[in-house]
Amino acid sequence: MFIDRLINQGNAPLLEQWMRFTEERHRLIAQNVVNISTPGYKPVDLDEGKFTAMLRDRADARRNAAPGRVRFDDIGGEASNAEHGILFHDGQNRSMEQLMTDQAKNALMHNMVVELLRRQFSSLEAALKERVS
Amino acid sequence: MFDVLDMGASGLKAQRTRLDVIAQNILNADTTRSADGKVEPYRRKFATLVSGRSAGEPNKPGVHVGKVESDKAPYVPKFEPGHPDADKNGMVMYPNVDLSVEFVNAIEASRAYEANVNLMDVTKQMMSSTLRLIA
Repeated sequence: MFIDRLINQGNAPLLEQWMRFTEERHRLIAQNVVNISTPGYKPVDLDEGKFTAMLRDRADARRNAAPGRVRFDDIGGEASNAEHGILFHDGQNRSMEQLMTDQAKNALMHNMVVELLRRQFSSLEAALKERVS
Repeated sequence: MFDVLDMGASGLKAQRTRLDVIAQNILNADTTRSADGKVEPYRRKFATLVSGRSAGEPNKPGVHVGKVESDKAPYVPKFEPGHPDADKNGMVMYPNVDLSVEFVNAIEASRAYEANVNLMDVTKQMMSSTLRLIA
């Protein structure tokens, strides 16, 4: 119970959901990249704006609730067809530039989230050991 | 995340096959006879890509070459009366291969191949970054 509270009180649950989001988004971007030449394929993506808004709302709700009452496990992105790019004759609306940009942005975000989570864990570890490593 | 690497591999394989077909078209751009020596110009081929890891795994995300089909566009007639394959009017039928189109397609396929390599690189780097959490 103590460990559960310790881990779930800070930013860790938010960062964990964010990491899941970036992994899922990377999977969808990968699907779009490999199907860049597939006729009729419609790219799919997750809406980062909607996800961060949901996360923010839940964080606000947690601030006013009793410890451990608000969970973040059920927050996720919803895959939908990405609307960018022009429609080609083969029914595709491919945009390699947009895909590469999204991929780079998502990977950077993932690395940042991992780094924040890692630092949080190491400060927790330092607190448990009662000495700074 | 491991399945993203498999996805990337399926993309590499599909784009490589596409490039092979384009290379075959370029090589045979002036071929007026079939392998058995008959006067029959080469017909342009193209690889059609289909979503899904392979024909047997259509639900797994990825891409594969569905079919390699022949282009039904008409042959290109040229007036060359001295050519051994010319008809009685002196016309020689050349393959329906347009080199400019093939070169553009080759560039597109090689860029898509590079994008897949890049995708696999980014995936590996994201995975190693995640592994740092437990290191």
